[in-house]
Amino acid sequence: MADHDHTEPPSDTALRVKALESLLLEKGLVEADTLDAIIQLYEHNVGPQNGAKVVARAWSDPDYKARLLADATPAIAELGYGGVQGEDMVVVENTSDVHNLLVCTLCSCYPWPVLGLPPVWYKAAPYRARAVSEPRAVLKEFGVEIREGVEVRVWDSTAELRYMVLPERPAGTEGLGEDELAALVTRDSMIGVALVEST
Amino acid sequence: MVERGQRCKRVRIMPALAADMVVPLFAVGSSARVDADIAPKFKAGDTVTARNINPTGHTRLPRYLRGKSGTIEKDHGVFGLPDSMAHGGGETPQHVYCVRFSAREVWGASAAPRDSFYVDMWDDYLDPA
Repeated sequence: MADHDHTEPPSDTALRVKALESLLLEKGLVEADTLDAIIQLYEHNVGPQNGAKVVARAWSDPDYKARLLADATPAIAELGYGGVQGEDMVVVENTSDVHNLLVCTLCSCYPWPVLGLPPVWYKAAPYRARAVSEPRAVLKEFGVEIREGVEVRVWDSTAELRYMVLPERPAGTEGLGEDELAALVTRDSMIGVALVEST
Repeated sequence: MVERGQRCKRVRIMPALAADMVVPLFAVGSSARVDADIAPKFKAGDTVTARNINPTGHTRLPRYLRGKSGTIEKDHGVFGLPDSMAHGGGETPQHVYCVRFSAREVWGASAAPRDSFYVDMWDDYLDPA
């Protein structure tokens, strides 16, 4: 009824989540302030800003980069990051010859301590299917043109290892410090669906 | 629904996580690595074929790679096997390897010649090629 002042009901997904949440709370299986603490943690403290600092450090310090590529978990812990869904990390490096792309075809595995929680499209069936069936077409839709002769490596993280892409450092950033470099690094560039731009 | 004569399964409920435990617990996590001295079946450079298994229960072996051949890139060490753990069957610890499959092996001649997939697989998913 168009002439009626009313609020649209929430989406099916939101309603289902609300129903589950109230059931879990009523049965005492979860506590409300615990849920708030988890949301708080991933809204404010854990997210791609962490991964960006790892990338900026690797771009600035060749020894750190070597440690990161050789054994990522302790190298990431040097910056204070680790924990759930990042217990066993691998970092893969984009170069002028290799472009890396991350997916979890079975569900939504993702490196939480460095990238936070996965975006909706990463968990959606079309990305999960097409990242392996036509990775170059997917990259093109994200605006990434793979240069002639570049090899695309798709990392399907279906086991217990979690991956992060070390993107290529853009030209023209030679004079920048770590904080300025970190500000250039996007979440998508660490999934492999974007390149890092210098401005 | 519980049928007549059927017994309810007793489910052990863990106490709810307290809010002040969120930050310390999430900062540590829980690795699926198992500290066990188990010999690997394969080594880097070996060619392997992913088994064409079709279990009705949980598995981490993606269907698009079943029956396909690849190369062991790296041995990640020993981990519990989700296929048995998901069904209360114990850890069944074994080595997990990073296996490289060429895009052409998976999708045929239309795939880009140098593209590839890197997927971590347990010993139970692999046969020598």
